[in-house]
Amino acid sequence: MTNQTPLEFNKSGAEQPTPASAGEAPGHNFAGQQVAVSVNNLNLYYGATQALHDVSLRIPEKQVTAFIGPSGCGKSTLLRCFNRLNDLIDICRIDGEILLNGRDIYADGVEVAELRREVGIVFQKPNPFPKSIYENVAYGLRIQGMNKRRQLDETVEWALRGAALWDEVRERLHDSAFGLSGGQQQRLVIARAIAVQPKFILLDEPCSALDPISTLKVEELINELKSQYTIIMVTHNMQQAARVSDYTAFMYMGELIEFGDTDQVFTKPRLKKTEDYITGRYG
Amino acid sequence: MKKLTKWIADGTPWVWLNAAAVSASILLVVGLLILIGARGMGHFWPLPVTKIIYQQADESQVMLAGQIREQEQITARRLRESGVEVAQGSEHVRRYLLKVGNRDINGEDFRWLLEPSIISTSKPYSMVVFERQEWGVFIGLLIGVREDGKLLESADVWGEFQRNLGRVNQLRDEIEDLEKGSIGGVNYRLERLRLKQRGLEMDGSDTVQALAGIASERDELQQEYVRLEGQLGNLYSQLQRDAVVVTTASGRELELPMATIVDAYRPNQMDLADKIGYFFHNAWKFVADDPREANTEGGIFPAIFGTVLMVLLMSVFVTPLGVVAAVYLKEYAHQGLFTRFIRIAVNNLAGVPSIVYGVFGLGFFVYTLGGSIDQLFFREALPAPTFGTGGLFWAALTMALLTLPVVIVSTEEGLSRIPRSIREGSLALGATKWETLWRTVLPMASPGIMTGLILAVARAAGEVAPLMLVGVVKLAPALPLDANAPFLHLERKFMHLGFHIYDVGFQSPNVEAARPLVYATALLLVIVIVLLNLVAIQVRNRLSERYRGLET
Ligand SMILES: Nc1ncnc2c1ncn2[C@@H]1O[C@H](COP(=O)(O)OP(=O)(O)O)[C@@H](O)[C@H]1O
Ligand SMILES: [Mg+2]
Repeated sequence: MTNQTPLEFNKSGAEQPTPASAGEAPGHNFAGQQVAVSVNNLNLYYGATQALHDVSLRIPEKQVTAFIGPSGCGKSTLLRCFNRLNDLIDICRIDGEILLNGRDIYADGVEVAELRREVGIVFQKPNPFPKSIYENVAYGLRIQGMNKRRQLDETVEWALRGAALWDEVRERLHDSAFGLSGGQQQRLVIARAIAVQPKFILLDEPCSALDPISTLKVEELINELKSQYTIIMVTHNMQQAARVSDYTAFMYMGELIEFGDTDQVFTKPRLKKTEDYITGRYG
Repeated sequence: MKKLTKWIADGTPWVWLNAAAVSASILLVVGLLILIGARGMGHFWPLPVTKIIYQQADESQVMLAGQIREQEQITARRLRESGVEVAQGSEHVRRYLLKVGNRDINGEDFRWLLEPSIISTSKPYSMVVFERQEWGVFIGLLIGVREDGKLLESADVWGEFQRNLGRVNQLRDEIEDLEKGSIGGVNYRLERLRLKQRGLEMDGSDTVQALAGIASERDELQQEYVRLEGQLGNLYSQLQRDAVVVTTASGRELELPMATIVDAYRPNQMDLADKIGYFFHNAWKFVADDPREANTEGGIFPAIFGTVLMVLLMSVFVTPLGVVAAVYLKEYAHQGLFTRFIRIAVNNLAGVPSIVYGVFGLGFFVYTLGGSIDQLFFREALPAPTFGTGGLFWAALTMALLTLPVVIVSTEEGLSRIPRSIREGSLALGATKWETLWRTVLPMASPGIMTGLILAVARAAGEVAPLMLVGVVKLAPALPLDANAPFLHLERKFMHLGFHIYDVGFQSPNVEAARPLVYATALLLVIVIVLLNLVAIQVRNRLSERYRGLET
């Protein structure tokens, strides 16, 4: 799949002024494109072991960015930093800076619940709540205090349509979400995430538990969603990264090795490690 | 040899050993249930009345009538040693336990009879077993019914008697309604009035006006009481009107007032259907009636009621307490050494002997807390304690304490079974930790909570020792739930099936009469526990069904 973004990746690595550029992030500059996420010198430790080593990168707004790399290299860990889910792990410690739309999310006084509302996440295995389809989508809305029936109905429908699931479930909104197929569950979880109107959607290997047809549907959905949301996606599957993403970050052993335009990373990787991985020499 | 080693290496012997152990356990449990079931149910079966001519040790002969309850073989040597003469040559002698009843005449209602001394037996058609209010059963023949002093001239004496019994039973019901209902209510209000006056006096606010109000109210109640008493006296005299004329097996004639007769049946005339009908009639009376004669006769309704109510109250106390504690330990407390220590302590609490909880309940709940409550709120009743003595509330609270560890442990287990992805899913949607707990985690942990409650109920319903210290009594004057506001009387003492078994079996003067009751009550206790558990399991299964899909 070709990259439709009108962006120009700066291959020279020279610093160019960008609208929201903050700090030093070597080689990653976008022309005419807002920077949505900016990670500066991030180190992350699980107890004594370091899982992320001095990661710096910038992710453009309303694009699909893919994290690839062998398993255990820290993709999920990095992704979970963006909505501070790592806070739940007692032994996890962070230093460095992460800016979402210019705001430091690890600063004092940040409302974590509010942050998470802006940053939806979808995991590898669909995790619907043991409630009806409707209540799953309405969950985040109810948390926000929305409880007018009509408003809820409308938003639920809107979110389900947004996740391309409405036509399949409109007849059984009040049945258990467990009755859906894996692919439908995954799209339900996406609907649940977009119902609260986030700005970011994080996808952690969203298709690895799905069959090829469901995978295709979710990929199509991602393609549609990127006009409204900044999407960051971890994937194991190189073809998928090539098909779906606009930018690709290659990670290895907790380090960000290469970041660039997907076409460039897959066709002309600048580093040997990247090339080895992409051509399947390890992973 | 090689085969043997292989056989051992296979683990086959272990499989066999395990299978044997499981079978043994199942056999023991089933055996226990069958024993209790058979003996307990046997209590309700109408046994035939056998008339026996019996040669006593002094060569005299007596005519006996009764129901054969047991028989056993004993060695002749044992009999000889206890001074009974037995014919030479016989190794074993069979003996029978005959329930002869008529304790008021014979002095005791059971007799052991040696088979060689039985001269003849028969089962006369018209033998009657009368159940009475006191002195146990009377076994004999019905001769006539005396109504208002006149012997009725009727061919169908049994029919007359039945009609009369119906009337007497109805009168008894009316009397009970009156005594427990209206008169009980008036007494209750009079007592409240007395306490109110006492309270006013103690506060020094006993103005003439207030006292006059109380006095007029009391007058009203007293008038009501006098009226009701008149009614009651009337009913009692009606109850005393009739009598039956009966004879014992040995031909002695006497009169039994109808008022003393509860029920009667003629077992030798019953066919199988009659007996089955009577069996269920008896079983129902056992479940629904109040006890009589120091608990050795009648039913055990108050004990069932007390047990169930106590268990329900305990559940109401223990569930929120245990859940809150488990949630704190699992979700909020820092998982350090101290938390681990507390967890170990909680686990070990489950192993503390129950009587220790009883002592704690008595010392802390009853004396300290109850005493203070009395000082603060029930001063007018002092020195008679209200909450400062054992009662339903303290018993339920003590049991809640006793079962708290199980609920905490199961709830914690339920909480840890919830996949992290579900919590993260909720948190990722902007829910706070509390919202996640309340909306997702706790509902999903509810089957675990129910498991804890099931274990708690099973334990609490069967526990006796601590209850004896904190509120269970042999005979409670009133149920803890009645029509007088505030309806649920938490301070009242109550009866309990487990204690009832102990009391009837081991504290009763009439051991032989009590034994079947022990089995029947034990059977009922098992049934009550099973029923309570079934309800809880049903609830848990509903919940698991709703939250199924977690396992995948
Ligand atoms: N909760 C955790 N506690 C300790 N170590 C962890 C935890 N989660 C992940 N790790 C470690 O961090 C490293 C990166 O893991 P992860 O981000 O899950 O990798 P990926 O998603 O790229 O497969 C791995 O070595 C993993 O063992
Ligand atoms: Mg991962």
